[in-house]
Amino acid sequence: MSFLPVVLALLAGAYLVAVLEGWVSTGRFRPAGPILSGLALLGQESLVPRTPDRIFFEAGPVLLLTSALLASAVLPLGPGVVIVDLATGALFVNAALVYVMVALVMSGWGPDAAYAMVGGFRFLGQLVGYSMPIVMVIAAVAMRAESLATTEVVESQAALWNALYQPVGFVVFMAAAMALCFLPPFDLPTAPGELAGGVVAEYTGWRLAVLRLARAVLVVTVAAAVTVFFLGGWHGPVLPPWAWSAVKTLAVAAGMLAAGRYVPRVREEHLLAWWWKLGIPLALLNIFVVGIMLVTVGG
Amino acid sequence: MISGPREARPSWLRRLVARAAARELAAFVVPGPEVARARGIDPGAAGLAIADTPRHASVLVVVGELPEGLRRAAAVAYAQMPRPRAVFAVGAENVSPLPGPDVSAALGQEDLEEGVVRLREMFAEGAFHPNAPEFDVPAIRSRTGYVCPMHPEVVREEPGQCPRCGMDLVPREAAAGEHGEGDGERDHEEAPSGEHGHAEHGAHDDMDHGGMGFMSMVEMTRDLPRSSDGLQMEWVEVPFGPLFPGLPAGLALTFTLDGDTVAEAEAERGIEGWAPLEGLSGPAETFADRLSGLDPLSPVAYRLLASRALENAAGVAPDERTGLARVGALERERAASHLNWLAGFGRLLGYSWLEERAGELQLALLWSAGPEEVARLAGEAGELARRVEWTPLLRRRLGGIGTLPAGAEASGPVARAGGSAADARRDEEAYRRLGFEPVVLRGNDALSRLRVRLAEIEQSLDLVSRAGSVSTPVVAPGGGSSGTGAATVETPRGLATLNLILEGGAVVAFEIGTPSARHLKLVKPVSEQREVADALVGIASLDLSPWEVVR
Amino acid sequence: MLLQALFAGFFGMAAVWFGVVVFRTSSMVRSALALLFSMTAVGAMFLAMEAEFLGVLQIMMMATEMAIMAIFMVMYMMDPGGLGQMDMSHQKRAAQAAGVLGALVAIGVALLTSWGPAANAAPGAAEQTRLLGIELMERSMLIFETAGVTILTAMIAATAAAIERRRR
Repeated sequence: MSFLPVVLALLAGAYLVAVLEGWVSTGRFRPAGPILSGLALLGQESLVPRTPDRIFFEAGPVLLLTSALLASAVLPLGPGVVIVDLATGALFVNAALVYVMVALVMSGWGPDAAYAMVGGFRFLGQLVGYSMPIVMVIAAVAMRAESLATTEVVESQAALWNALYQPVGFVVFMAAAMALCFLPPFDLPTAPGELAGGVVAEYTGWRLAVLRLARAVLVVTVAAAVTVFFLGGWHGPVLPPWAWSAVKTLAVAAGMLAAGRYVPRVREEHLLAWWWKLGIPLALLNIFVVGIMLVTVGG
Repeated sequence: MISGPREARPSWLRRLVARAAARELAAFVVPGPEVARARGIDPGAAGLAIADTPRHASVLVVVGELPEGLRRAAAVAYAQMPRPRAVFAVGAENVSPLPGPDVSAALGQEDLEEGVVRLREMFAEGAFHPNAPEFDVPAIRSRTGYVCPMHPEVVREEPGQCPRCGMDLVPREAAAGEHGEGDGERDHEEAPSGEHGHAEHGAHDDMDHGGMGFMSMVEMTRDLPRSSDGLQMEWVEVPFGPLFPGLPAGLALTFTLDGDTVAEAEAERGIEGWAPLEGLSGPAETFADRLSGLDPLSPVAYRLLASRALENAAGVAPDERTGLARVGALERERAASHLNWLAGFGRLLGYSWLEERAGELQLALLWSAGPEEVARLAGEAGELARRVEWTPLLRRRLGGIGTLPAGAEASGPVARAGGSAADARRDEEAYRRLGFEPVVLRGNDALSRLRVRLAEIEQSLDLVSRAGSVSTPVVAPGGGSSGTGAATVETPRGLATLNLILEGGAVVAFEIGTPSARHLKLVKPVSEQREVADALVGIASLDLSPWEVVR
Repeated sequence: MLLQALFAGFFGMAAVWFGVVVFRTSSMVRSALALLFSMTAVGAMFLAMEAEFLGVLQIMMMATEMAIMAIFMVMYMMDPGGLGQMDMSHQKRAAQAAGVLGALVAIGVALLTSWGPAANAAPGAAEQTRLLGIELMERSMLIFETAGVTILTAMIAATAAAIERRRR
């Protein structure tokens, strides 16, 4: 049973992502930072706003964590090291991660506060943008693997990574991955300067700790999905398979965290326009090109 | 485990948590990070993380003396901070109605850092103190009001029927008095609420059997305001400021949100600024000091304005060297002010590299000793300007945002970004001798304002090194003189004017015109019918300072 | 087998319960999300019955669809939070009649149709996906393509109608 090793790896990954995020945002490398801030948050009062939709307010962060955990259940860390090897794994990753949006809409609506509500519905708009391209890109990945199972997807990249076989799909998927994790420049739902924290603004204490943990797990999961779909998963020389998975996942996570520092946040209208006018055509082109390559050159 | 911040019997776990809390202090800076930077302190470098909302902060840092309205807003913010929490007064004596500061320090980076050390000790020892006092602001005590579920603008003290549609009014919580004086207050009453039918009010008004037939959307939306796109939706009034991170510190606005579009923008309760005019008249010798305390964001410009007006009244003219020194001091402040604006703008845009880099340069410039150091910083500022110019997505983000209507009254960088060469410095002898030409760009949007300010930073630093001095100008009005004086100064934000009457060595009357007072009128055209983020960018591009707007 | 039946029953009950919540709450957002979770529970039922692809698809598609519905409900309803205790029901008699009739028809179809012999074991998940694809690309192609084109036409027509109205 590979349940325990995968969950432990996931938690370790989330911890490292939290350290990386602190490093990127403050410029100070503090290996103990997440433990300290977690403890500090547990010691803090966890306030509930005055007239909340209590069910949504409480369920939002938990649903966010659940959806990230569910998605990670089908992502293999090494050959056979996967919690459930679903035959429809590639689709299941996306199905589970759609609930990130549901969680954010719930936590945005829950506190009965304008900034949070605007933030929550902004993420719904963001999903309307990235959700179509992300499925189309996954379709092209599944075409090459001739399977939706994530382990098969990794096996199909033994000779050549998908990032090189279908670079257009890789670029679209990376952008969608960042939008999905609401990382800058796609941090519209939290938008620190614009909405004073937006969806997370009303959460304090242990509830905020759950939310931050969920976000870190989400980043690790999505980075692992990028690794599995495009960077050959556990394949690599010398190092053992799990190490390759870990190295690639952390590198992707670090890249996603660092990239947002050097660009301003995207405007909402541009975000939607670009996804629909550029992202979807590119994703369709990717399917077409991959189809032709599969027929002519082969996988 | 931990049942609350006011728990007795410190167990080992609580001690551990308290020590962690002491290491992880997050600060909500009042009135705002840019005022802290303008006063030459950097809470980030002192180890305090800057929080966007009081909900995520454990320390309320009060920087400098605040007017009463802002102190009340700070008290509301403090009441929203989760415990354990503390008040840290930096260069502020009077913080009432906030509780007395837990730690006080003088204005200065070293004092600040020492204060943070004391705060840490305090948190480590007293985070779970059994006698932590209650703190309650009258401003957020609740009372009940009655609203119409259809027409949120209908609010009554008593239950009854809506005058528009005849539905029964339903009770809701409303804040007494000062609603929205704190960015954190998030107006719980006006946001459409998800509260699910807990109101004890039997308003089961069958719409079926009313006069409307069933659920006619046309009838029901008849009286609602219409959006620009022709859809009627519920409008929500949301306070932004005076402590909102996306607006200039101290600026209090109310946006009427139509979805996430700003339908209307108003100054909150008519409070547009914080400049006190009562205490400014008096002895001429200290008039410049008093006026320079007006705006923490540009003290030198106002000192210079007072000096010039007094000299004009007394009929003395400064010599050439004083003139040059004044150019140096004013231009250094202009560059620092623009960099400070740039840091705040970076924060609003979520462009963290810019926020950090511009903040660093601004503080370095403020702390710089003389023209040589300024010359070194000029190189770094040029580097920054080029990096900003080449930033991907930035043009897309700013282009076409914050466009002013034709004939809008503007001055300073806002006017110069719209193709006008309006600049009071062109008429000044000292500037003419340095070969000054104003930076003028066409564009009239947030992008061109950013570019004008970037170019002015380089230009100002160049002027400083050529002026060869950055000493603060000293005023020497003739003792006991009388007369009327007038002066203008091109402050970092635009043209400021001062007319005063001097009688027997005392200023008895004066009239001041400031750029932000003029630019406040532009808030409406740059923000209305814009998405919230675009509206905030448009307002930020005006670089308003509520400190120089008369209360 | 028993476990499967238990899970299918549990998710079925959850789907019904969330369905009831849709009508019991006066908050539009709660209503929309309850509908979403009802649909998710149906997807989980598919999973419990080893129809993996259908289950995952149901779980994925419904989230987006219901959320978009939620935003329209919030946009157009006057009291999305349900604070006003407004009674959203109307034409109660007709609705009751339609509900009872619909239930009778559904039960009738379930009981009276000859469903053929029960399969001993479901085909493997990958095989199911393949069969579904072949079904879509062969026998049912015309139906699905027609439906798809019809929806697309309706979308374009609706957009065109909206633009036309604004221009006037």
